[in-house]
Parts: sequence; C-alpha cells; structure tokens
Amino acid sequence: MAGDSILFYALSFLIIYFALGVLMNPNPIKAAFNLVLAMVGVAGVFFHLQSGFLGGVQLAVYAGAVMVLFVMVLMIFDLKKERDAFSQGFLGNIGKLLAAGIVVSLVINNVILSSDLQLATSNAAKAESGRDTTKILADLIFTEYVFAFEVLGILLLLVAIGAVSISRIKGGTHADS
Amino acid sequence: MLTVDFVNIGLNHYLILSAIVFVIGMLTVLLRRNLIVMLMGIELMLNAVNITFVAFSHYNQLVNGQVMVFFVMTIAAAEAGVGLAICVSIFKRFKEVNISLFENLRG
Repeated sequence: MAGDSILFYALSFLIIYFALGVLMNPNPIKAAFNLVLAMVGVAGVFFHLQSGFLGGVQLAVYAGAVMVLFVMVLMIFDLKKERDAFSQGFLGNIGKLLAAGIVVSLVINNVILSSDLQLATSNAAKAESGRDTTKILADLIFTEYVFAFEVLGILLLLVAIGAVSISRIKGGTHADS
Repeated sequence: MLTVDFVNIGLNHYLILSAIVFVIGMLTVLLRRNLIVMLMGIELMLNAVNITFVAFSHYNQLVNGQVMVFFVMTIAAAEAGVGLAICVSIFKRFKEVNISLFENLRG
C-alpha cells in the first residue's frame, strides 16, 4: 500500500507542478512543454488506475498529436516573450482567484464530507485484477456505443475540413497582408 | 468528520487532485491573455475531468466511464484543431494572439 500512495503523491505533485507551470510561465512555448509533462503525468495516473489503453491513448493523442499541433502553431507565430501575459486589473484578478478558491474548496469539502464516496473507497482496491480492460472497452465501444463512435468519426472529418477552411481564409499562414 | 486518510489512496484523493487541476486550468483561462495558452487551460480542464472519469470507473468496476474518456479525448482533439485554426486566422488579421486586441472582432 505504501508504494501505491508514494506513486500517487509523486504523480500528483508532477501534474500540479507542471499545471502551475502552464499557468505561470510567460513564455508560451515553455507553457506548452509544461503542458506536455502534465499530460504525461495524467497518463501515469491512468496507468496507475489500471486502464492501460487510455494511458496509451493519452500519451499518443495528447502528449503526441495535440501538443505537436500547439507547438507548431506557436512556431508559426514566432512569439518570443509576451508583453502582457497576464490580465490586468487588480480587483478583477482577485475576484478570479477567489472564484477558483471557492470552486476547489467546495469540491474538496463535498468529497471529504460525503459518506458514499468513503464507502466506495473502502470496498474498492481489489480492482480488476488480471482482467484486461482493453477488451471490455473495445466490446463496449463497438456494441453499446457504436452510434456515438460513428458520429465521432463524422465529427472528426468535419473538423478536419473546417480547420483547413478557417485557416485558409485570405491565403493561409503565409499571406502578406 | 473532517479527517483525510493520507496513507490509503482512494477515490477521494483522485477527486481532489482532479479538482485542483481543474481549477488551475480555469485560472489559466481566466488570467492569461494569450489565446493559445487559454486553449492549453481548456485542455488541462478536460484532463482533470478525464481523471475523474477514470477514477470513478476504476473504483466502481465499470468500464463505461472509460468509453466517455475516449470520447472526451476525441472532442478535445477536435476542439484544439478548430481553436488553433481560429488562432491562425486571428493572427493573420492582427499579427498578435493577445485577447486584449480583440475588442473589434468581426468579419
């Protein structure tokens, strides 16, 4: 059990540290690399929760494809250092921080106080030992959720066309004007 | 009773981690002014929700939650694609992706 909790705390420290890096780093490219490392930490949490397929997809799709997209767009823009990375206005920012604090403390309070979750915690931990979740996941996707899966395929096609057509307005990224 | 078990990791710990990551993503969207960094904040929020889904699915021994995570990931990739395309078209118009310049965003 000790190894489990050490792994969890190490992963959550990594995730929170790099997420704060995304928030605080004024250089967008460094923020993007922090985000990649946070995604890798989330993939680690997925592996820790014995859903290896999702961890792999997380690594391939997020830490691979999506972040490559982000970094490539940043490279196109050639942003060095931003003039004003953070929003101005002292009162507004205090309000935003307060709102965030209220959200997180409400969630944590509810989680700690609710007895149902405690019950769920106590009779868990035996988990799906040896059971391959990937196979069950594939069965579910291709039987119960097959319609949603197909719709997602259409959505992705539309998004590919839409992204190209939006960024092609007025001559692509290399237009003069 | 406000006691937290710090040794035995359970569902609660994952939910709290997810809440913290969600709020950091929310603050990124609220406080930063670069459009691309704001999109990164949205990705952080989606990841926090994914942690919640996987934690619930693990502790309830149901795989349906993981199917939802699969869908959320696809939607997130689509959203990043369209968002970055919009960023490119905005950058072409203003030579900048700072939202303080977008008071007159039309056409």
